[in-house]
Amino acid sequence: MTRSQDHPLGNLMRQLELYSKLPDEDRRLVLNLPHRLRRLDAGSYLVREGDKPTQCMVLVDGFAFRQKVTGDGSRQILAVCIPGDAVDLQNMFLDVSDHSVQLLTQSHVADVPREALQELVLTQPAIGTAIIQLTLVEASILREWVVNVGRRDARERIAHILCEFAVRLESRGLAGDHGFELPMTQEQLADATGLTSVHVNRVLKGLEADGLISRKRRYIHYSNWRALQDAGDFSRRYLHISEHDTIAQTY
Amino acid sequence: MRLLDTHDLSPLIRRWSKHSELSAQDRDAVFALPFIKRSFGKDAYIIREGQEATECTVLLKGFAFRQKLLRDGGRQIISFHIPSEFVDLQNGVLGVADHNVQAVNRCEVAMVPREALTDLMADRPAIRLAVWLDTLIDASIFREWVVNVGRRDSRTRIAHLLCELSLRLKKTGHGDDRYDFPMTQEQLADATGLTAVHTNRTLQSLRRDGLIELSNGILRVLDWQGLTESGDFDELYLHQQI
Repeated sequence: MTRSQDHPLGNLMRQLELYSKLPDEDRRLVLNLPHRLRRLDAGSYLVREGDKPTQCMVLVDGFAFRQKVTGDGSRQILAVCIPGDAVDLQNMFLDVSDHSVQLLTQSHVADVPREALQELVLTQPAIGTAIIQLTLVEASILREWVVNVGRRDARERIAHILCEFAVRLESRGLAGDHGFELPMTQEQLADATGLTSVHVNRVLKGLEADGLISRKRRYIHYSNWRALQDAGDFSRRYLHISEHDTIAQTY
Repeated sequence: MRLLDTHDLSPLIRRWSKHSELSAQDRDAVFALPFIKRSFGKDAYIIREGQEATECTVLLKGFAFRQKLLRDGGRQIISFHIPSEFVDLQNGVLGVADHNVQAVNRCEVAMVPREALTDLMADRPAIRLAVWLDTLIDASIFREWVVNVGRRDSRTRIAHLLCELSLRLKKTGHGDDRYDFPMTQEQLADATGLTAVHTNRTLQSLRRDGLIELSNGILRVLDWQGLTESGDFDELYLHQQI
C-alpha cells in the first residue's frame, strides 16, 4: 500500500497535512524524525495495555487495530489503524497505555523515540496543532463507535463500519475504485461491532444479497455508495474530512 | 482577594494542575480569558450537532452530557460531564460540532471565544499540553465506553458507569461516597445502550446486593470494592494519578 520511493514517514506526513499544509521547515523536521524500521508479522502486539512506552509507533504500511479485553475475556476492537496512523499518539503524553494495539497484517512499523516527538510537537506549533487535530478526530470516531455499538442494529453497524473504512482509505489515496481491501476476519469485524461472527456472516451475506456490496476474498466492492451509506445510517461529518481532502502527494 | 479561590475558572485551573504544571503566568493567562456566563435549564441543548463552533464551553455548575441522535429517534449518550470540564474542546480546533451537548440539570457555563483559547494555547505550551491531556483522557474514556456497550452485560455496564462517575466526582472534590446524581434512569439507559426498564431492574439488583443507594438524586456507594468487581472497573483509563 505504500508508494514506491516513498519516505517511511510519508503516510504520516499525508495524514498530518490532511487539514492544513505544513510549512516546509516543519515538513523537513517531521521527515527527519529519528526512527527505526521494523517488519512485523500479523498478530504482533505493538503496544500492550499497562505498558509504559518509550517509543511512538507509526504504521508505515499495513493495518492494525486497538483493543481491550474485558474481565470475562471477551475482546472489543476500538479502532482500526490504517497506513500512516501513529498508533499510540496518546502515549506521547499519557504515561501508561490504556489499551493494546495489534497488527492485522504483516507491516512495516517505524519506532520514533517519545522525546523526539514530544519536543517536535511542543516547539513547532503547526505540527502540534496538526497532531491535536488528529487526536480529536480519533476521539470523534470513538464517539461514533459508541453510538454504533450502543444504538444501531447489526446490519447498520456493519454497513457503517464499511462506509467509515471506505472514506478513511480514500482520504489517504489508499482505496480502489468503489472498493477496498478489508484486512479483517469476520471474527474481528464482530469484535469491532459487538456482535458474534455468525451474525456478521449473516449480515454480510444480506448486504450482498441486496446488491449493496460484492466480495472477492477480502475485497469489498460497492456499486451504490448512497445506498450503502443509507444502510449504515452513515454521515461523514464525524470524520471531519471533506470530499476534497484527499492527499495523494509523494514525499 | 485571591483569584484562585474566587474566579469562575478556578476549578478548571485546579483540575488542570492535577495533570499539568502551570506557572503563575499560565494561571494569570487563564484568568484573563474573556468569557460569557450562561445558564441552561434541565434538558436544554447547550450545543447542537452541525453548529459552527465559535466558543469553547466550560461547565461551572451542574451536569451535562454529550449525545447523538439516530434517524429512528434513538439517542446514544456518549459521556457525562461534571463541573470544571470542557464539554466541547474539540470544537475549538475542528470547527463544526459533530454531536449535541445537553444539560442534565440546571447548568451554568463559561463560554470562551474559540480564538482566545487557541491563541492562549499557541502562546503557552503548558496550557497547550493541559488541553491536550484533556482531549487524550476524553478519548480514553470513549474507548472504555465502546467496550462497555460492546462487550459487557447490562449489570456490568451500569455498575461500570456508576464507578466511573463516582470516581470522577470524588477526584474533583464533589463528594466522598455520597454524590449529587441528577441523571435519570432514561439517561443511564441511553448511556449504556439499554432500555429504561432494563436499567431500572439492574439498579434495583445493585441496590439489593448492598452495593449502592440511589434516591432523590443522591448516589451513595456502600461497597466500592463490590461495585468495582460488578462493573469490571479498573481506573487506569481515567489517567488520574493522585
